[in-house]
Amino acid sequence: STSGKEGKGWKKYQSYKGEGGLPDEVERLRIFVDRKAQSVILPIHGFAVPFHINTIKNASKSDEGDFTYLRINFQTPGQLAGKKEDTPFEDPDATFIRSVSYRSPDGHRFDNLVKQITELKKEANKREQQKKEMAD
Amino acid sequence: MTTQFDKIYHGLSPEVGKFRVASSGMGWKGIDSGNVVTLEASKVKWAQWIRVARNFQLRIGLSDHTKERFDGFLREEHDKIAQLLKNHFGITLETQEAAFKGWNWGVADFRGQDLAFLVSDRTAFELPLDNVANSNIAGRTEVSLEFANLAGSSKGKLAGDEMVEIRFHVPGAASKAKDSDAGSQ
Repeated sequence: STSGKEGKGWKKYQSYKGEGGLPDEVERLRIFVDRKAQSVILPIHGFAVPFHINTIKNASKSDEGDFTYLRINFQTPGQLAGKKEDTPFEDPDATFIRSVSYRSPDGHRFDNLVKQITELKKEANKREQQKKEMAD
Repeated sequence: MTTQFDKIYHGLSPEVGKFRVASSGMGWKGIDSGNVVTLEASKVKWAQWIRVARNFQLRIGLSDHTKERFDGFLREEHDKIAQLLKNHFGITLETQEAAFKGWNWGVADFRGQDLAFLVSDRTAFELPLDNVANSNIAGRTEVSLEFANLAGSSKGKLAGDEMVEIRFHVPGAASKAKDSDAGSQ
């Protein structure tokens, strides 16, 4: 019933219906992976901002001095220059968050977060692949 | 008569404190540091209520165009706060809707000293532009904002993970620059 509002090939998804859905862990103002909601919740200046795994491209970390840096890259239009665009967008003319970077003295925890995000992405890709195979 | 709320944070501080409201104004006092923030009744101009990470945030606009943020209020405390603000200062507590859809696309809206990112007309987050240490336009459609090391600054210790950079993809940024909307609050 909502297909009329969707862009070409873009499937509707959302992390939470309302603020009551946020897990208690967000209170700590730390990055949290909510597997059940298929989302990564980022603390941004005091806000708890969820990002559905479908919006995330990948996550990586690097060590510099006493700190570990975590970078999350998001799906945005125009990243696949010269390639066939295979990720549809609801509104390609909107402003997109392309990436965010965090730093922490706790490299072990950031390492663990990268693993969790990568695993969540793998699971989402796998489900998407299975759906495609079913449709064929 | 003074009404007190416990376990309230001032700004992004990790320290909990007590928040008090009386006809003379509002005040916050840190439990550990004993630091005090006071807001005189005559300077209180507006108040907003929005869901943030540490439950609900009460933000108070002052006559010198600054604002103070207090986190940690519970959903159930909304009506009590609204009534106190009405009775003591004659102002209406305005609710701002927050976004939880999990989308990374929306609208960047300049509101005074803040950059708000809106998803489906709701606030996903706000960034104070005075904390931006460096901004950079990389290519025609990419804007990056780098944040100062707040943890080591006069702003004191921050709770939680520290965001150091955010990059936006702004299609057609060069051709459709929007007027800033400083009067939106």
